[in-house]
Amino acid sequence: MPRSLLILLASLALVGCNGRSERAGGGLLATSQQAPALSGSGEWLAVVSDHGGRPTVQLRRLSDGSVVSVPQLSRHQPHSSPSLSWNGRYLAAITQRGRRRLAVVTDRLNGRMHPLPLPGGRDPVQLSLAPDAQQIALQVTDQGRWRVELLDLSDLLEPDRPPGQSLSTPALSSEP
Amino acid sequence: MIRVALLFSLVLVSACSSPRPTPRPDLNGLLRQSVNSRRGPSLGGRWLASLGQRNGRERVELIDLRSRSPVPLPGLNRADAQPISVSVSADGQRLAVVQQREDRTELVLYRRNVGATQRLPLDPPGVPRSVSLDGSGRRLAVQVSRNGRWDVDLIRLP
Repeated sequence: MPRSLLILLASLALVGCNGRSERAGGGLLATSQQAPALSGSGEWLAVVSDHGGRPTVQLRRLSDGSVVSVPQLSRHQPHSSPSLSWNGRYLAAITQRGRRRLAVVTDRLNGRMHPLPLPGGRDPVQLSLAPDAQQIALQVTDQGRWRVELLDLSDLLEPDRPPGQSLSTPALSSEP
Repeated sequence: MIRVALLFSLVLVSACSSPRPTPRPDLNGLLRQSVNSRRGPSLGGRWLASLGQRNGRERVELIDLRSRSPVPLPGLNRADAQPISVSVSADGQRLAVVQQREDRTELVLYRRNVGATQRLPLDPPGVPRSVSLDGSGRRLAVQVSRNGRWDVDLIRLP
């Protein structure tokens, strides 16, 4: 094989490994966007963008670029640290309530919002929702240090699993 | 009066029994013990990636929540690199990391099966800050500073 062809193939492999990039787009307004969070499926993107001077979570469907309204998060700005479940059913974020920061999980299927107050009156700094929404990790400040704490949400939220994933339902017996 | 008291206690019982988030004391104790400080959590199913500080140095750490044990990440935490943001895929195999190294901030992808990092160039160039992987680890969103404003870039990975 000629040496030039080998170099060409190696270059193509290198370019392929680097991935293809695209800009997420500005949605309705080409505003600054921060703290991106992809859903587990990769179909949804949440960002924090500036709306009238108030940092607000914006949710976008990546297949067509459309911005999807999240009425539960139209208030309590500034928002920060959005995080999505696998199919984008649940959107978690940190909101403002008076002088306190409060983590919430919104269920876009039924419109409910679940506040997640922290014991000890501590404020969340950053969060990450598990793809199946059965637990959440919260970064908090505790005695001048950052900690990460896990909360079990399995009593609160239905799982949001990838389509086609098998559930742990016992197999039906063929015996009568 | 008795009816009112009965109604009140019923309301109280139903309020107390409504489902609530519950702390995981076993795992939270483990997360607190192992480092001086921990930040930037990223949950991918049974995997928790975060930035843990020990002896004044911050490192990317991956914890298997099922076995409650840290997972070795050979080749990731270089002595000359300071991590800024981390995100883990749902199977725990891929970690996207924004790190500062030799006076520049870079975005890298770490694959556990090969134990090596790969730099992901930004096009057009910019300074990455915060990163998020999707569940498969094949799509990535990164916050990038360009010309004094924050953009979000999407990158498809092979």
